[in-house]
Amino acid sequence: MSREIVVLTDVKLITCIVQRGEADKVVKAAQAAGAQGATIYYARGIGIQDRLGVLGITVNAEKEVVKMIVSSDQADRIFERVYLEAGLDIPGHGFMHMTTLEKAATYVPHDVVEKLSQAAEES
Amino acid sequence: MSKRIRYGDFISTVSVQQQRLSYNQLTPQPQYDAQGQEVPYQQTKLKLHPREIGRMVKPYVESRLMEQVKTVLPLVLYLLLFQWLILRQDIMTPWLITAGIAAVLLGLMLFIEGLQRGLMPFGEELGSTLPRKLRLPGVLSVAFLLGIGVTLAEPAIGALKTAGSLVSQAKAPLLYALLNQWSGVLVAIVGVGVGLAAVIATLRFVRGWNMKPLIYLTVTPVLGLSLYMHTDPLLRAVLGLAWDSGAVTTGPVTVPLVLALGVGVAAATSKKNEPSGFGIVTLASIFPILGVLLLGLFVAFVHPDSLQAVSTVSTHYAPEPSTRDQFQEAIVMGLRAIVPLIIFLFIVMKLVLHRDLPNPKVLTYGLIVAVLGMIIFNIGLTFGLSELGGQTGSSIPKVLQNGSVGGYLLILVFAWLLGFGATLAEPALHAMGMTVENLTQGAFKRYGLIYAVSFGVAFGIMLGVMKLLFHLPLIYFILPGYAVALTLTFFAHEEYVNIAWDSAGVTTGPVTVPLVLALGLGLGGEVGALDGFGILALASIGPIISVLSVGLWISWQVRRSHDKHEQEVAMHQEHTQGA
Repeated sequence: MSREIVVLTDVKLITCIVQRGEADKVVKAAQAAGAQGATIYYARGIGIQDRLGVLGITVNAEKEVVKMIVSSDQADRIFERVYLEAGLDIPGHGFMHMTTLEKAATYVPHDVVEKLSQAAEES
Repeated sequence: MSKRIRYGDFISTVSVQQQRLSYNQLTPQPQYDAQGQEVPYQQTKLKLHPREIGRMVKPYVESRLMEQVKTVLPLVLYLLLFQWLILRQDIMTPWLITAGIAAVLLGLMLFIEGLQRGLMPFGEELGSTLPRKLRLPGVLSVAFLLGIGVTLAEPAIGALKTAGSLVSQAKAPLLYALLNQWSGVLVAIVGVGVGLAAVIATLRFVRGWNMKPLIYLTVTPVLGLSLYMHTDPLLRAVLGLAWDSGAVTTGPVTVPLVLALGVGVAAATSKKNEPSGFGIVTLASIFPILGVLLLGLFVAFVHPDSLQAVSTVSTHYAPEPSTRDQFQEAIVMGLRAIVPLIIFLFIVMKLVLHRDLPNPKVLTYGLIVAVLGMIIFNIGLTFGLSELGGQTGSSIPKVLQNGSVGGYLLILVFAWLLGFGATLAEPALHAMGMTVENLTQGAFKRYGLIYAVSFGVAFGIMLGVMKLLFHLPLIYFILPGYAVALTLTFFAHEEYVNIAWDSAGVTTGPVTVPLVLALGLGLGGEVGALDGFGILALASIGPIISVLSVGLWISWQVRRSHDKHEQEVAMHQEHTQGA
């Protein structure tokens, strides 16, 4: 039996950069909107502190980068939820962006694949 | 062969209005000067609306304040409830105490923030550059001086001095002398003790010494000296002070700063790859005890005249300092605690290492905030926490008058719960719990450590209160306690030994120490004890024993499960061979 790769299309990548300790909050909001999971890593950000002057002290230079792969239908909704939850409309609270991915692959439950491909054949 | 399917089946409803804006419109066009050279772009400062400033500052302050509220408030509530429900007594000067507690919260918040922004980066920078620029003796001498500096900065060390106010000169002349005209020397001796501890701990990091022999070598002479001094009624009075000062020194300033230095040094010099950073707290608890004991001997034998000299002067001394004096003293103490330390760090950085400050603006902010926080914390301590603790402490003995056995039991239960709650809330313990969980690869769970330590401290404080109530000599508790601790140390694994002995020092932080001291003094004053010391000392033995026991239990379980496994394997083999 040959192994086959199920390739997912219509995939978007949402990346959100927030201050250290805020990532879990962001992921929770995204999951509530249908995101399956997230990858978080630590980083250091430079730029906004200098421009804020004295208020720069309220911004932590240590960041967390949250990467979430979502379906294109969900993407806008999750994008908004995350924006609001992370409070990105506050100066220095972070930055986010979304890109289209060409394709992605991971574990997809066997029965789901069967069902969807059958539906595709019938139509 | 690949199939193409949809990732999800969701219909999105867009609830927030999006406005499209080209980023090109925000970024600047390149500018050229007369020669056609490109002028580097200068970022402009942002102008913020006051509401935006508020939205930035609010989460910053909120998260940091809540951290302290979680630590302090349960304790305060516990004391209040106890006073209202069980003692049925109103709080005296309630508004002053409320304001004081608010000041404690604010002060702690500012101080911790300042510590993280200013003092700690300073210490880490020093620790990592020192070994590169200096030889080992140079590093050790800086460690020594830093040890002295941080001790003076420790907020709890001031509490020790106030604790001396109860001591009557007639009953314990030596203790009185140490706490009054020798108090400067006393603090200096404690500082030297911590300095020496920093030196030896750094050496330990570099050379990879084991903790066990160090413990035997340091604890045994201290115990022996204590036993000797117990035989002399004059010297006996010093024991409580000495053992308490060991517990007091290792607080929120000392531990992170000296640790930052030690870890930096160890990372740069040691051959072992994982610098655990343990051990420094233990030594910093033991050496000051030895120092204070020796100072007691020195004063008693070399300057016996100072014991009498006071008696004539002290009779004229005004008993109650005015509120304003207390206020001023709190401010002066706050300044004196941190400013010399900063100057010392600065001198080492500039003159010895020839390095500029990293991130000078943030550092300056951190240092200013630390000093401010210290002052506010001191004020709050004097008028809020210490006052409340003292009131509860002094009204507790009234319980004794109505019921004999029940009253005593009530007090002991109260002391136990206070110790348990206070330790559970101590922030340093939570940080240590996480380190320990990583270090033991999950064998010693974080909450396992936190509960073990809290249990130990609770029993320690209970025993300490018992000592005060029944006028028992401290040595009756310390000698067996440390004998048990040393025996357990002998059998336990090296890593658990490190954790257990360090947890003793970590637990007695900025909230527990003044509260317990005030309580002890209030209680001691009512029952007519010589002094209110000794509770903290016993609170340090408790966790050593409890954590070591848990450690032994864990390794026993691990061994048992291994044995079981081996037995099963053996049986299985026999079975297959038989067949």
